[in-house]
Amino acid sequence: MRSPSASSAPRAAVPVGIVLLVLLPLILMPLSAIFIFAFRGGADDFLRVLGSRDAQFALRFSLLIAFATAAINAVFGTYTAYVLSRYRFRGKQPLGIVVNLPVAIPTVVVGTSLLLLWGPIGLLGRMLAPLGVQPMFAPAGVLLAHLFVTFPYMLGAVKPVLDEIEGTYEEAAYTIGASRWQAFRWVILPALKGGLFSGALLTFAHSLGEFGATVLVSGNLRLRTQTAPLYIFAQFEAGNVAAANAVAAVLATLSFVIFFFLLRYTERRGR
Amino acid sequence: MEGTSSRWRGILPAVLLAALFVYAAWPWLPFARADRSPTTIVFYGFSILADAFHDGIFPAFQKQWTAEGGGRVEFVSSFGGSGTVTNQIVMGVPAQVALLSLESDADRLADAGVIARDSWKRLPNSGVLNLTPFIIVVRPGNPLGIHGFEDLAKPGVRVVHPDPMTSGGANWAIVAEYGSGFRGSPGGPAAGEAVLAGVWKNVVAQASSARAARTQFENGFGDALVTYERDALYDKSRGRLRAEIAYPPRTILSEHTLIVVDRNIRPRERALVDRFVRFLWSEEAQKVFVRFGFRSVRPELDAANPGFGSIADPFRIADFGGWRRARREIVDGVWKDRVMKAAPNR
Repeated sequence: MRSPSASSAPRAAVPVGIVLLVLLPLILMPLSAIFIFAFRGGADDFLRVLGSRDAQFALRFSLLIAFATAAINAVFGTYTAYVLSRYRFRGKQPLGIVVNLPVAIPTVVVGTSLLLLWGPIGLLGRMLAPLGVQPMFAPAGVLLAHLFVTFPYMLGAVKPVLDEIEGTYEEAAYTIGASRWQAFRWVILPALKGGLFSGALLTFAHSLGEFGATVLVSGNLRLRTQTAPLYIFAQFEAGNVAAANAVAAVLATLSFVIFFFLLRYTERRGR
Repeated sequence: MEGTSSRWRGILPAVLLAALFVYAAWPWLPFARADRSPTTIVFYGFSILADAFHDGIFPAFQKQWTAEGGGRVEFVSSFGGSGTVTNQIVMGVPAQVALLSLESDADRLADAGVIARDSWKRLPNSGVLNLTPFIIVVRPGNPLGIHGFEDLAKPGVRVVHPDPMTSGGANWAIVAEYGSGFRGSPGGPAAGEAVLAGVWKNVVAQASSARAARTQFENGFGDALVTYERDALYDKSRGRLRAEIAYPPRTILSEHTLIVVDRNIRPRERALVDRFVRFLWSEEAQKVFVRFGFRSVRPELDAANPGFGSIADPFRIADFGGWRRARREIVDGVWKDRVMKAAPNR
């Protein structure tokens, strides 16, 4: 493993240099700008801004929503992938396309359609209003939006793995009297672990950064429904660049850690 | 050795994840729960208000309410463009009190049945909470010698202007430009239209909001920016504005309208919200607005802010028959139908 990579190192210098040159203005410089502006007032200022109630609430709220989104979509996404992969039925192909659409639809459109459906003057929202249930402009609305927007990520991570698993193992399980659930639990799930892990991390990361749909369905209320990206935007609007960048730096660091684990995990499995 | 390190590799992410979760959920955990149910007021405002309310009005009222024995009160707030805020309220956000840039946004809420028609007129000062004149921001030293909206019509001046289709501030600006001509000499509607046409001939950038227009100007685009005095003063006080304010001799004072959304107020919150609304017109609150660069509805308080420039002939939207008429006759009638149609290449 070590010797071939060592011998190819000198030859790698040129292509790596090209990649860095391209990435510098595209990705690396904007990323470092976040940190430079976050720390421009010094570390004390950074901590003070980060310790403010609004910033703390926004970060925590974002994290909780991301955890919930990842957990719920792990279940729904895996089940959908299982059904799409193991059952034959009419309309399977259109369904497979529809569940992947959230990736392509602008998030602002997602937010608007959720409002038109669940909002106080929306189709279903009007029926819920007399019951005192009001999902929009509340944490539930934010969760709904994030579930919708991130749904394809879990599916995309799990379904290819499911498609690859040989049917023979499952059949063997059935022949010794396993139920569908037992076959899933003891044959498929262990093989799915990697896909589940990377799908959940991707979902988590996307939920942390979601903006377009959230800004519409949340009402952007600080200390109630303001997620970290909304906080960043509000602070930029108010001209508090340092506060915006402090939280942005935390989000960027979290994403870095998430993708670090993601990459290491897939690398280990690929080896 | 190999075995333990790979086992640790699996545990580390799990520990990190658990720590992250505990951090996130901490305030909601049962044993960390302090007094979690303070009374709240949900406040929405247009964008330039954010710091005046966060850092000035909210803390002042909290102190007052506690002193009066009302206990702890918490503000839940949101700030955005006036049109955006209006749309959000129509869509049903739980706003209890909102401050809008244009009275016509309040009319829009009444049209949508959210608030009773003209309900804001029953508030003190017909619902107008504070004011700020429209001014021109120019480059340091005022190299082009701009002293009024008429000067923006001079050839070669590049004007940065917010877009009247989306920005409340831009609507005020249009009436300011028209009014400047209308009230000048010789004056009259023809002179008003001439100034408006002259300015718009020179508009090189239409930004979606007053904020966005300011950002373009700050980044070196254009020779002059039409905006709220308050925004220019605010930037100047933070040392961010490398420019000067040119005070036009004739300009409009924008009036910001407060509305109360009764349907979002529960009976037990009524007294608190009413007290807050009354507080906003108190001398203490009005002084806060002056400190943050807004002009007070009590002109005698304005002396406290040395940054305010003098305007020879300030006028109000009432001088043009109120917003309904001004929109019909000036924004739609003159600006949209005549000035913009005369410049087909834009």
